[in-house]
Amino acid sequence: MARFVLTLAVVAALVVPVAPALAHFDATDRYTHNACPATVSNRADPVNVVFRGWGTWGRAASQLEAHAGWSSTTGSIQSFVDHGGCAPMHAQRASGLGARFHVRFRGQHQDAALGWVAVAGAHHEDLVLFPRPCGHAVDSNGPGGSGFDQGRNELERAFASAGHATSRLWWGNTQSFKQCDGDYAASDGWTVVVALHQVNH
Amino acid sequence: MQHGIGRFTVGFVVLVLVGAAGGTPRGNGVSFEPASLRSRDPLLFAGDRTDGLPLTAVLRRSDSAEYVSFVYGDCVPDDDAGCAPPVEIQVWPACRRHLALYDSSSGPDLERLTVRGVPGAVLDSGTRLELQTGRSTIVVFAESRQRLSRIAAELRPLDSRTASGVPLPQPAPGAVEGRLPC
Repeated sequence: MARFVLTLAVVAALVVPVAPALAHFDATDRYTHNACPATVSNRADPVNVVFRGWGTWGRAASQLEAHAGWSSTTGSIQSFVDHGGCAPMHAQRASGLGARFHVRFRGQHQDAALGWVAVAGAHHEDLVLFPRPCGHAVDSNGPGGSGFDQGRNELERAFASAGHATSRLWWGNTQSFKQCDGDYAASDGWTVVVALHQVNH
Repeated sequence: MQHGIGRFTVGFVVLVLVGAAGGTPRGNGVSFEPASLRSRDPLLFAGDRTDGLPLTAVLRRSDSAEYVSFVYGDCVPDDDAGCAPPVEIQVWPACRRHLALYDSSSGPDLERLTVRGVPGAVLDSGTRLELQTGRSTIVVFAESRQRLSRIAAELRPLDSRTASGVPLPQPAPGAVEGRLPC
């Protein structure tokens, strides 16, 4: 009988759900993708923003709208990777419809140190109409940095001006991406980390 | 949109780079190399073709990033979305990019290794290789670890037709630790 009880206890311990431990923030894939499953060949943009603290994707989008005024929700869908899984983005915001700042968000696993986490790919892009209309193209590398750097910098400036703590991480995700106007753009490899608060604006 | 002189046609660039690699800028007075690469190490690339892919573009940055990039192969961007070329080799000055940058606990996972006698690391699930040689950091992007290895074996100075596969120059003192001045 005692043996049966012990066996039952062991089985119960194995099958009874317990509160899951917080997963760590997964930064093994530092690019967005044009489709799932994620491959190297369908990488689209560098991930260059991490929201932490109360960094849910909804708060990130809401607080970005409040601080930067990026309220347009237009743009194509891209996907993000988290712990080996690939899934479409949760939201996007842009500063307009033509030449504009644009960012795509996806919420990630909660992290014991960072709290709620969302990641994003920010950039500045132009609307390409000539010689062939092809939608938006991220600004190529130039004296002010690439469109990826410009978008990250503008987002960082908007949040920092509103009192959010920001810092930078070196990820080195500097792979170049060919744009529909034939030019190339790449991140400078730095990712900004932005602390979000619980209350939206 | 294109800004400045970041992209050159390949034929023109090879001419300019061969000159620039020797420290003498050529071609319309354009100095192609970033200032902190100039007159230091010869630029390394993988030749006119590597792993079956032609050299299709040479890019240069000298702003918040600083490198010369050799793009191999092509891709077709979708409307509203960029695409990743199959292979890219970026040559950075080690004072701007070095392995010590990854020492932060929040940085990406990396596997340290030795390639052609010099220290390096594989990152991004085997799709990025970084090597430190002389006063430069060579960054290779490719779809697989096997392709990274083949391209690393092909690295050679821009002005050399051979020398691939031989050991690379050791990193300058302080280069791996990020203590080189720019």
